[in-house]
Amino acid sequence: MVKIHPAGIFLSRKLLRYLLSFFCILLIVFLLPRMMPGDPVSNLVGEDIYLSQSTIDSLRAAFGLDTPLHEQFIRYCLQIMHGDLGYSYHMHGPVFEILISRAWWTLLYTIPSIIIGAWIGISLGARAGFQSGKWWSDVIASIALVISSTPPYLLSLLALVLFVYHLGLFPFKGFYDTYNLQSILYHLTLPTLVLISFYASRNILIMRGAVLTEKELLYPQFARSLGIPEREILFHHIRKNAIIPLIVLIALDFGFLFSGALFIEIVFSLSGMGSLMYDAILARDYPILTGSLLIIAIFVIIANITADIMSLIIDPRIRRSS
Amino acid sequence: MTVINIPSWLKKMRYTPTFCIIILGIFVYAAIFPKTISPYSPDIRFSPYGEPDENHILGTDDMGYDILTLLIYATRISLIIGVFAGILSLCIGTSIGIASGFHQGWVDDLMMGVTDIILIIPKIPVTILIAAYLHPSIWILIIVLGLFSWETTARVVRAKTMQIRNSGFVLSSRCLGFSSFSIIIHDIIPVIYPVLLPKFMLTIASAMISEASLSFLGLSDPMMESWGKMIADAFDHGGFIREMWWWFLPPAICMCVTVLAITRIGMIYESNEPEMVFE
Repeated sequence: MVKIHPAGIFLSRKLLRYLLSFFCILLIVFLLPRMMPGDPVSNLVGEDIYLSQSTIDSLRAAFGLDTPLHEQFIRYCLQIMHGDLGYSYHMHGPVFEILISRAWWTLLYTIPSIIIGAWIGISLGARAGFQSGKWWSDVIASIALVISSTPPYLLSLLALVLFVYHLGLFPFKGFYDTYNLQSILYHLTLPTLVLISFYASRNILIMRGAVLTEKELLYPQFARSLGIPEREILFHHIRKNAIIPLIVLIALDFGFLFSGALFIEIVFSLSGMGSLMYDAILARDYPILTGSLLIIAIFVIIANITADIMSLIIDPRIRRSS
Repeated sequence: MTVINIPSWLKKMRYTPTFCIIILGIFVYAAIFPKTISPYSPDIRFSPYGEPDENHILGTDDMGYDILTLLIYATRISLIIGVFAGILSLCIGTSIGIASGFHQGWVDDLMMGVTDIILIIPKIPVTILIAAYLHPSIWILIIVLGLFSWETTARVVRAKTMQIRNSGFVLSSRCLGFSSFSIIIHDIIPVIYPVLLPKFMLTIASAMISEASLSFLGLSDPMMESWGKMIADAFDHGGFIREMWWWFLPPAICMCVTVLAITRIGMIYESNEPEMVFE
């Protein structure tokens, strides 16, 4: 009998779950327009579009709306496997291409924000948790608590009012005035800072909590009794254990980067993927909405798989016990 | 499991829970009896874009409604959405958690499988899509928010139930011939109550935040005025560009204060005492 490595079993069980949840999302996206009241054709192409009767008939045939549901579903899945997410009548283009062209702009400032936010969160949170009695630790934790209990768009709006409207430090909207690096950096500074503060504050809270629980355990006390300096206990012993839940969350942040940027882009009028979704909501452009949901779902699942592999690498306990 | 520890000064102040309950009590009072404290009726219109003065403490909005009155009446919608979505998710989460923790076997595998699958689905985009199709009323919003937030409750409840299902008092009730249902109601729920409360409170808080975000996207009931809707109106109708802070700051502050108070009340049982273990 072939012996399968426990890590392999762990990963394959997880993979099965991810496949099933992607299937659920596909099912939601497939069933919603067909089950909703009203004409499924207008539910599929979006509202407020004038289509002639002959176009509607040809679309009905193209979607296969007269065939049984399971045949429609198979046809739909095949379409998606070929990278065909539909055609947006509002934007006059294939959904996939529109999404890709916008997604680059979003990636441009969300990825640095997540990385910097993770770095700030880990280093500040670890120190704040280790010296939890100090006043500055409480100040940091309180600020982080307030920021993370504010709805994300509210924080961006307050930053917009304070720094743009009131102080006039940053530009009102858009990615650039003239298409060069300096202008783009200038326009992206404030949105990136807001996003960083949001990610950082959540990471600080979680890292602080994890360090607080870890430092009460026996092994840091033992290390202390051996005369190892506090700094080394924190960075070489405690941080290794405390970071594990956070690594998973940070990996998931990469999965959620498009929906995380949604509100920032609306407030700062950045024409990335978030504002594309917002315009699609306002115009009821359903092909764009379902397309972006599928892209987000794929990103989330890839991020989940990465998180699992990373926790397997970092944490030997999972590798052995699973 | 992620643990968020509150700052120690909040813990040291012995009266913070009481203080938070008083704050929440004021908001609940405003939600139930808005007439008694609001200065005007919510459908009287004055001159629009008014600055704060002695007649209108918080000025008037773009339609000429008194902002303080709107703020007080909006409390009701915001709290209703939070509380009912919280109750719905608590009911689903608790029943699934207890069922899978108590019966174990294939029931457990099936239910935890479903929980894991739903946990992975990206909530905000799916909610946005559903809301875009449905043009939701407040009850649809509550159902959608409640249906997508029960998984963590179910997991915690399951873990706790598995911990106590073999403890002495459950075994003795079983020996005395009590039915599973009666054991769950009389022995298990009272013991897991301390884990239910923080989950319940956190769900209320996150449902309120989600509602505010959906209002901002224009996806909530256009007829109902919630705090999120007020901020969205201020954004859409020039409250921000005119720097009318008396328009958008009060609902924002109310939202943050309520969320913080609710979260703090949920942590009432998180004391420094060692956790009781039932062997």
